[in-house]
Amino acid sequence: MRGLTGLAGLLVLVELLPRLGLVNDAYLPPTSRIAAALGDELVTAEFWQAVGDTLMGWAIGLVIAVAAGVVVGIAVGAVPVLRAATASTIEFLRPIPSVALIPLAVLLYGTDLGSTLLLVVYAAFWQVLVQVLYGVADVDPIADETARSFRFGTWARVRHVLWPTALPYVFTGVRLAASVALVLAVTAELVIGAPGLGKSIAVAQTSGAVPLMYALIAVTGLLGVAINLAARAFERRTLAWHQSVRGEVPA
Amino acid sequence: MKRVAYVLGLPVVLFAAWYLLSAGSESFYAPPLSTILESFGKTWTLDRLGTDVVPSLLRLVAGYALAAVIGVAVGVTIGLNRRVRATVEPVLEFFRAIPPPVLVPVIMLFAGIGNGMKIIVIVFGCVWPVLLNTVEGVRAVDSVQIDTAKAYGISGPARLGRVILPAASPQIAAGLRQALSIAIILMVISEMFAASNGLGFTIVQFQRSFAIPEMWSGIILLGLLGFGLSLLFRLAEGRALRWYHGLRDAQRRS
Amino acid sequence: MRRVFTGIATGVALAALIGSAAACGSSGGSGGDTDADGVDQVKVGVIPIVDVAPIYLGQQKGFFKNRNIELTMESGQGGAAIVPGVVSGQFQFGFSNFTSLLLAQTKNVPIKTVANGVASTGEQGKDFGAVMVKKDSPIKTAADLAGKKVSVNTLKNIGDTTVRESVRKAGGDPKNINFVEVPFANAPAALEEGQVDAVWVVEPSLTQVKAAGGRMVASNYVDAAPNLSVAAYFTSAKLAGEDADLVNRFTEAINESLTYADGHPDEVRAVLGSYTKIDEKTRADLTLPKWPVEINKESVDTLAKLGAQDGIFDGATPDVAKLLP
Repeated sequence: MRGLTGLAGLLVLVELLPRLGLVNDAYLPPTSRIAAALGDELVTAEFWQAVGDTLMGWAIGLVIAVAAGVVVGIAVGAVPVLRAATASTIEFLRPIPSVALIPLAVLLYGTDLGSTLLLVVYAAFWQVLVQVLYGVADVDPIADETARSFRFGTWARVRHVLWPTALPYVFTGVRLAASVALVLAVTAELVIGAPGLGKSIAVAQTSGAVPLMYALIAVTGLLGVAINLAARAFERRTLAWHQSVRGEVPA
Repeated sequence: MKRVAYVLGLPVVLFAAWYLLSAGSESFYAPPLSTILESFGKTWTLDRLGTDVVPSLLRLVAGYALAAVIGVAVGVTIGLNRRVRATVEPVLEFFRAIPPPVLVPVIMLFAGIGNGMKIIVIVFGCVWPVLLNTVEGVRAVDSVQIDTAKAYGISGPARLGRVILPAASPQIAAGLRQALSIAIILMVISEMFAASNGLGFTIVQFQRSFAIPEMWSGIILLGLLGFGLSLLFRLAEGRALRWYHGLRDAQRRS
Repeated sequence: MRRVFTGIATGVALAALIGSAAACGSSGGSGGDTDADGVDQVKVGVIPIVDVAPIYLGQQKGFFKNRNIELTMESGQGGAAIVPGVVSGQFQFGFSNFTSLLLAQTKNVPIKTVANGVASTGEQGKDFGAVMVKKDSPIKTAADLAGKKVSVNTLKNIGDTTVRESVRKAGGDPKNINFVEVPFANAPAALEEGQVDAVWVVEPSLTQVKAAGGRMVASNYVDAAPNLSVAAYFTSAKLAGEDADLVNRFTEAINESLTYADGHPDEVRAVLGSYTKIDEKTRADLTLPKWPVEINKESVDTLAKLGAQDGIFDGATPDVAKLLP
């Protein structure tokens, strides 16, 4: 409930700033005009197509990033030699800004979904990978020793010791990756021109349709909130048994 | 010796692979690595480092530092106060989900087109991980610790400085680390708008003028920069949180 | 095992980097897909602005379908995003301004123009792009721009070279103009807020600045050359060599579209509503460019000369003949 108060406050503020002449309403229109533009947009098929495109890029990219991050993270994390050998490479590649890959993306995929995916996967992959690595590192050595002494095979150890320990970290990684993936999906559409909300924002911007631009920006923000809420709800349900262990990760 | 081999081994292998695979490449946009390296030396002269890389770094540092201060300060306030937290959290989540590039024009409206705008863009993007992690960290402070501090009459700033902040610091460090890589991304993005110098600006300019080897050399430089900064961060974190890592190791051994 | 995992670990990133060499070598680059009926699927990289209205109109009118071309428009933000797409064969054709194309030519990017894109109206004060100042600005003529802060959408491109020419023609010194990069869409706000002294804008931002009371001080495209050809449609040298038939059909269809657009301004204003969000009033008010079929070669030479003079080409001289069809 209180959260709604906060959001309402924001809406009122945006209504008042231009009305009171503190900012020029040609550049920051009041909430009511943004809402009207949004209302007009909501009934168009184009808008939903754009939302669908963005969500599609987001979802596919996230799934690829999570799958790759988990597989690679467990493989690398469970084998000390591998971990030592890849650490420097990971540290080098991780901070390369995904936006630096934009020219590459265009080259490989033009302005299709593919270029959005490249950026989304690249950015989200590291979030998952790093969390999984932390999770694997957090495995209780005693539990691992015990499993070994019971002659658990590699697979059984991964399944029964490593995975349960790493799971909360994986979820944190997925949650972080989910937000980053959305930001990158919209950024890619905005900068490259791949279909989706980002492109709609760019078109609204170049057409001077200011209220519509803000309406679309608000939609991306709301999508982000929704994704975050969903991720948290999913996390709580799946990890209900794990509450005691849960907690954010000192990454 | 072995450590050095581990650190350098894979990068050397990959680099060699890139070098060999790209040798003789005729593709305009994927020139041979040898060409890229050659242009690296030519492009990133001391002169250029001074005119383009230094301004970028200064903006990066300014934005990052501001984001850290704001993030921790606001995060502690929110984390300690349930009501405030409940009220502002959705608003924060909302802003966090808005991709910073779409906000650049809005920020330009209020902050002009100078360095201030670029620093604000960086702050705006990387304050969230710091802030949200601080909130989580402060919330998760052991209530026994707080009660003990209260029982000993430790209050106000002392409680904040001696009990709450140290307890939340691993979490805050996690946020700061995430923020660092975001800050680098935003440094580049902010220079895509209304810039006339900077590393990001230069790379975009190379791309637009079809100077492809130079563009690749810029991307490599960005990678090196990110690597260097995260190394620095690790060193700083290692020192500041030595007690924490020691504690965890001890817990683990016992 | 180890090699496999190492491969995956770095795959996401480096495979992309390394692989790009291989990918570019192999990714076709030929003339789209031809289906059983002999219809070519053609992707065109365009910037969703007023300039490309004819191709959308031509698509509506069936000028492309008549020639067995099934057109898909892919939007890119600026020539820098479109040229790589054309070179790598992701798009068969693209749209870009001539200065960018000349720039690409000096770097030996394998592209060739196939049709005119858009041209200046050639009329002082009535062009689709202009340098604007605030109503009460002390800047009266282009010569007064010397030493001032002027926004262009992209530095070292067609905007700043032509604005410099306006200043030169008006007897001013273009050397000390402080050009800053501000996207067209943000230029009206930047001017209003006093962040810049003057803005170079094209439609629809131009109409927006006029509506806010802005005053025109130069028609830079008109000053640069009479009937300046501003932009063109282009293709990769590879496609031009391999599928001359497709290129010819595309050129014919584009030319028919250009001519039609020039003769039917009302339909142009209507089609703008289909791919942009420009409101109806602005669409009715804005100044349309000209869409002649012929590329004005002398004007391209002039752009090449101006660019070289301003150091845009890094000391190289573009070979205009090699670029034009």
